[in-house]
Amino acid sequence: MSTIKELIKEIKNLKPIPAIVNQITMAIDDPNCSAKDIANIIRFDPSVTANLLKICNSAYFGLPNPVESVQDAVSILGMNQIIELVLIKSGAKALSKKQKGYGLHEGIMWKHAVSSALISKEICKKTKLGNENLIFTATLLKDIGKTVLDRYVSNSFEKIITLVQKKGYSFREAEKKVIGIDHGELGAMIATQWKFSSKMINIIRHHHLSDKSQQKNTDIAIVYLSDCICMMMGIGIGEDGLAYRFHGDVIKNLNITHTDIAVIIADFTLEMQKVENLISVT
Amino acid sequence: MKQIVGVADMKVSNNPADSIMTYSLGSCIGLVIYDSIAKVGGILHYMLPESGIDKIKAQKNPYMFADTGIPRLFKGAYKFDAKKSRMKICVFGGAQILDQSGFFNIGNRNYMALKKVFFKNKVIIDTEQVGGAANRTIRLEIKSGDVFVKTSGSKEVKI
Repeated sequence: MSTIKELIKEIKNLKPIPAIVNQITMAIDDPNCSAKDIANIIRFDPSVTANLLKICNSAYFGLPNPVESVQDAVSILGMNQIIELVLIKSGAKALSKKQKGYGLHEGIMWKHAVSSALISKEICKKTKLGNENLIFTATLLKDIGKTVLDRYVSNSFEKIITLVQKKGYSFREAEKKVIGIDHGELGAMIATQWKFSSKMINIIRHHHLSDKSQQKNTDIAIVYLSDCICMMMGIGIGEDGLAYRFHGDVIKNLNITHTDIAVIIADFTLEMQKVENLISVT
Repeated sequence: MKQIVGVADMKVSNNPADSIMTYSLGSCIGLVIYDSIAKVGGILHYMLPESGIDKIKAQKNPYMFADTGIPRLFKGAYKFDAKKSRMKICVFGGAQILDQSGFFNIGNRNYMALKKVFFKNKVIIDTEQVGGAANRTIRLEIKSGDVFVKTSGSKEVKI
């Protein structure tokens, strides 16, 4: 069986992402969907509600009074924050495992996912561009392809790393050359299987912006920049190191300067302990 | 005992049982200093070149920036009778994403900021592994002063 056929089979056997992620990602893409609709999606899932309340009452928020219902949570923290928390909680299982091929210990990929998603919010605020919820979700899930590709990367690691270290390939280019598919493409296949919106699938596929035709897409550019900032900070990077392509023009088009990036890094660093707390309760 | 230096953090020790370590430097710099006579050493893991972008944040965490973190690392070692003239200095990190040039190259700017501080203070680097697209993890053993580096895609080696 060819590698690609094997991968397709593996994706079909993949444990599905919790239904609520799907419902929320569809809802945030639908302009007719209100905050109340989203609150209802959450309210009717008791385990998600219980987890949400646990996170709201954790040290991350340090709220003076306990949050006792989804309604409370929405009114105190706002709808966007609630969507993010539900997604973070639901995505943790899919992205927390050790990834041997990429050299990521247990929890490291998840730390990268949450950190880059939180950074994407800051970029949305700064640029006043993009659909914040869509970008947050896509940033959180962008590396989902790595979870399936990992074993193949592990089996072909020597070949891949030789292309990176000796031939000037990016890690993504080397994945594509050696395995026949990269983690973005594979992630898009998983996202399709999970019936994510076409926008979400497109962001996951192109999050390294290797396809020039996608470089003007603001949503992807923000996801891309969040990933780059995390790489620079050394958060959740493994044997692939920083061996991905940098597209300075894309960042300039977002009107983001190097000083903006430094400020984002400094702000995030001061919040790091809080982020660790958030990760530990999810 | 293993002492972990977090992101934007510093540890200094004269306990021979200690091993000081910092993980995953990315574009950040890991600065290692060691005095083999006083048997004192430390590591600083800073993320950004200049504290000028935000003085308040630099006060909250001076280890975040080269210009505020580096002097504190040296002063931390002097408290344990280390002398600048005897110090071994090693620099790691400052990596960049492929094709990351100019102002966006924070890794290189982090390194240049260190060179500036060292030039002013007449400090000479003994060993450096800086730049490239590799992620690095470093370790210093206080008893021997041995420094180890693990670079992404390769095994840990002694410097």
